[in-house]
This record gives sequence, C-alpha cells and structure tokens, in this order.
Amino acid sequence: MMSDAVEKAFAAIPGLISGGLTTITAGSPIHVQGFPSFVHKVCSLTSKYEEEQVVKRELTLVKQRLAQPNITQAQQADCLVRLLFAHVLGYDVSFGYISAVKLAQQGTLAYKRMGYLACTLFLHENHELVLLLINTIQKDINSSNIMDVCMALTATCSLVNTEMIPAILPFVQEKLKHQKEIIRKKAVLCLFKFHRMAPNSVQHIHHSFKEALCDKDPGVMWSALHIYHDLIKHSPSEYQDITQSLVSILQQVVSRKLPADYEYHHVPAPWLQIKLLQVLALLGKDQQKISRVIHPVLAEVLQRSESNQNITFGVVYECILTITSISPDTRLLEYAAKCTGKFLRSKANNLRYLGIKALTKVIQVAPQHALDHQMTVIECLEDPDHTIRAKTLELLYRMCNSVNVKVICDKLLEYMEKDTEKSIKGDIANASLRGEDSVLLFAVQTYWELLQRKDVPNKLIQIGAW
Amino acid sequence: MIKAVLVFNNHGKPRVSKFYQHFPEDTQQQIIRETFHLVSKRDDNVCNFLEGGTRLNSLIGGSDYRLIYRHYATLYFVFCVDSSESELGILDLIQVFVETLDKCFENVCELDLIFHVDKVHYILQEMVMGGMVLETNMTEILTRIEEQSKIEKSEAGIAGAPGRAISAVKEMNLPQKIKDIKLPDLPSIGSLKF
Repeated sequence: MMSDAVEKAFAAIPGLISGGLTTITAGSPIHVQGFPSFVHKVCSLTSKYEEEQVVKRELTLVKQRLAQPNITQAQQADCLVRLLFAHVLGYDVSFGYISAVKLAQQGTLAYKRMGYLACTLFLHENHELVLLLINTIQKDINSSNIMDVCMALTATCSLVNTEMIPAILPFVQEKLKHQKEIIRKKAVLCLFKFHRMAPNSVQHIHHSFKEALCDKDPGVMWSALHIYHDLIKHSPSEYQDITQSLVSILQQVVSRKLPADYEYHHVPAPWLQIKLLQVLALLGKDQQKISRVIHPVLAEVLQRSESNQNITFGVVYECILTITSISPDTRLLEYAAKCTGKFLRSKANNLRYLGIKALTKVIQVAPQHALDHQMTVIECLEDPDHTIRAKTLELLYRMCNSVNVKVICDKLLEYMEKDTEKSIKGDIANASLRGEDSVLLFAVQTYWELLQRKDVPNKLIQIGAW
Repeated sequence: MIKAVLVFNNHGKPRVSKFYQHFPEDTQQQIIRETFHLVSKRDDNVCNFLEGGTRLNSLIGGSDYRLIYRHYATLYFVFCVDSSESELGILDLIQVFVETLDKCFENVCELDLIFHVDKVHYILQEMVMGGMVLETNMTEILTRIEEQSKIEKSEAGIAGAPGRAISAVKEMNLPQKIKDIKLPDLPSIGSLKF
C-alpha cells in the first residue's frame, strides 16, 4: 500500500523530513514543514476527515506564507507545488490563483514555467484572472528565448478565450514561420484551438492553414491535419483538391520515406497514418471519383501492415473504417472483411472488441459478410468481458435478418437466461423497445410468429418483464 | 479529442489530472470518481476500452465518450476521449507517456508523480496540446525535457530538495515501481497480409 511504503521510506530518512526544504524555507518567519513531510502525513491518513484537517491546516499556512511581502520566487513555486497537490485531491485552492498568475508574469524561466503551469491547471478560458495574463503571453510569445515562446503558446492554447483571440492571433500567426519545428507545431495547434472555439476568428487566415499543411516538417503537417479534419468534416466538398496530396503523403509514409525518428516499433509514423486515414474517410464519403483516388493507397496500407505490433492493428482498424466510409470497392471490402475476421478470432480482448466494432461497419456496406462471421460473433456473447458483450449485442441487432433471426434470437434468449448481469439484460430489453431499431423489431416480430406457430412456451414475454 | 488525462492509484486517490475542456472543480472530481469507479471494478485481463456509460456521458456532456486505460501495479492511467480518437493509438500513447516517465525518473513510482507533478505535466504538455496529440516520439520528448531541466538546474532549483528525498526513497528499493512496463506481446493472429 502506498501509505505504508511512504511511511517506511520516511522513517528511514528522518533527517530529510525536518531538513528537506530548509534552503527554501530559510528566512521565513512562518514555519512551513517540508513538502515530503506534508505528503507523508496526508498519505498515511486513512480517514477522509483526518486528511481534510491536515490539508486545510497546510493550506492556511500556505495562504499566510503567500501573503508575505518578501516571499521569494522559489518560495512561491514551492507553495504552488503544495497547492497543485491539494488541488488534484479536490481541495479549494482558489486563494492561490493570483500567486500563480504573478509568478507567470514576474518569474524567471523555471519559476515562470511553474507559474504558467499552475495557471493552466487552475484557471480556464473564461476565468477573470486570465485577463491579467494577456500582456505576459504577448510578451513571451515574442521572446527570443524558445522556452518562453513554448510556454506562452501552451498557455494560449488552454487559456485564451474568444474575445482575446484578435489580440493574440497575429503573434501566433507569425510563429508559423519560426525556424524551430516545435514552435511552428505549437502555433498550428493554437490555431486549431481558435478554429474550434470561433471559426470566424480565423477565417481570414485559411492560407496559413494551407502553408502549415505544406510544411517541410512532417510534424507540423500532422498538426495542420487536425484543423483540416474539422474543416473537411464541416464542408467536405470544398477540400476535394487536397485528396491527391494527402494520398501521396500517406503513400510516402507507408513506403518509409519519413526519417527513422517517425517510426514507432518499426511502424512508420502510425499516428500520422491513422490521422490521414481519418481525413481521407471524410473526403471520400459519397464521392465516387474521390474514392477511386483513395482506393489504391488503402490497399497498400493493408498490405504493408505486417507486424504484430499493437499499433499496426490500430492502423489496420482505421483503414477498415476508411474502406467502409468511402464509396465501396468490392475487392477492398473483401480485404477489410478478411482482416476483420482476424481481429474477431484474436485471443487479445482489445482486438476482439475492435473486430466487433469493425464488423458492425463492414456489414452496413456489405451485409453479405455477416454470415462468414456469424458464429464467431455469437460466441462473443459468452465473453467474460462486459465491454465486448455489450458491443456484440449491438452488432447482433444489425446482423439480424429473416434468415438468421431464429439462430440469433435463440442464442439471445439462452444468453439472457444465463446471464446474471442486469445491465446487459437491460440493454437487450431497451434495444427491443427502442422504436428506431426497426431491424430488431422486425426480428422479434418474426421470431414471435415462429414461436407461436410451434407452440413453444414463449419466452419472449420475459423480455418485456426485464 | 482527448478530454482528460487522469492518473490515480488503486485506492482512487488522484495523482495527476489534466482536463482539456473546462469543467467546474466539483464536476472534475465527480469525473475522476466515476472513472475510478468504472475502471477499478474491471479485471486486469479484460480489454482496455470502456464506453463511458450514461453517468460519465452526462457529466462530460456528450454521448460518445470512452475511457482508454492501462493499469500498472499501483496506478491507473486513464485517457478520456471522444469517438474521433483511435483506441489503439491512445493505448500506445499511454505507453509512450509511461515509458517517458520511467526514463525521466528512473523506475517511476507513485511518489515521483506526487513530488514532481510539475515535471509530469511538462512531459504531458510535450505530448498533448489542446486535446490533440502533439508528439509521440519518446526521444524527442526526453530531449525537450532535458533542455528544460538544464535551464532549471542553472538556477536555484525548485525541486532540488524533494529530488533528494526521492533518490533516498529509491535507494530503499520500494515495491511500488510501475512494473511490467514492457507491453506483453500480442498473441500472434498471423500475418495480416492477403
């Protein structure tokens, strides 16, 4: 247990507890115990009430200490660490917010960073104190020190609200031309945030998005994809012209044209592949011509995904989703169904879960593939994992047709008799009662007739009872 | 989008929390409690994904939230995401996060997350920004953190003293390292080639 371990550790180093923070607390007329000692005390308490007493006492001390006129930056930072600890546990530390703002404004590097961090954790974009930070953010974004710029951009992304965007936007935009990739990347993500908050505020700088998308650094391009994902989702027809570029980027990624830094467990830039596949799925939806441009690269992604790494399956899964989202290609759908089968038969729960989700998508465009996997799916109803069982039920509703209704309903009833978990029974009952689920209604009605014809004691009444 | 990154121990005590969408303080605590309630009752051998359920969805205000989590020894690392995120992508992102912490703190343990909560957040800041994935390359993240530490060391260090405490604690070889940091190899499901 955590508290025992801490206790042992601290018992062994008594000198530390009393003297741990003397360098910081020296000269302070208010005695504040070292942070380790405080943590030790809190962690060793078992009752919530006692914990509250200790933390509240500490917060009172911190409050007094922060109010001292001669407090140093190091002391302020030390106080903020304590406040962060109490904050994450759910205590009200709002008295210290202003100190965080002050440290961000006046602190030097490491202390400034601590101040900014505390601000991003304590405050939110509509908090009144954020107004006090705007000047500081503007100043730091323009600093010649890269760390200052990074801090300011990070703060911008979590603290700037709609009204402040015009005051910050020109500075952020300027950073898109910065020589360091990390700065360009962060600036792009700030724009992404602005675009999500208030699309109109960045409408006039769409050309900057395009420049970011064409950036020579793949990381910056990747960040720009987040913006394009939103743009395309909103109005897919406007961005058809970038399809070819994205296809060729994906092609280059899968044929390992990116620097080795972008490989993860020997898989080339898997997260970037996933993002590209998501964007292509949006572009090709209901667009036959566009989809035909995309089809070849999807086959290539599947063909090149050979390793058994977790993340490879992530890429393959995303590819299956893309294949089912865009205008269908029979050959690709067959591949997709085949891959789905491998997910379904896997021993790994994560893959089986995704297999069920993937099949749900596949059969929406190619219902003929349902039959191949019917028995595998039905077996998933027996899975010990609740998440998998719940997803399986959802899939079974969609798979139901006049041919397989008897098999599926028999299995469902059998399962409902055995299953002790209320939630799943609730799921079945709810789904059968949901008006929009016409497939299941149809299924139940058909089965109902079957049962009556055979004079089987009709168990379906039980469904109503749950 | 990643809505929140939560780290809590087996008793549900939160150690790190970062929300990428604003929620009032008490809602944040409710989300943490509900998340702990949902993941802690699951066996370690079930899948790492969990649909948010009605309560969590109503707290967050949507219908498509999912929890993607990993459980290491005494700690749960949970990412709360919407349906636009790839499950396996996030799962490996958690792994990158934990491996980076492990490199930074040399066998990371729960105490590191408490004493160096600032550093944990700096690492997270390099990986996720505005709820979007920013960087996934561990070497790159570590380089940036080291650059920052250098600057910190050149000044009177904030975390100097707790740092010493940690090294003393480490020497005692406490049984609370995040064990099994290596991913278990996935059972082979054969080549995906056709």
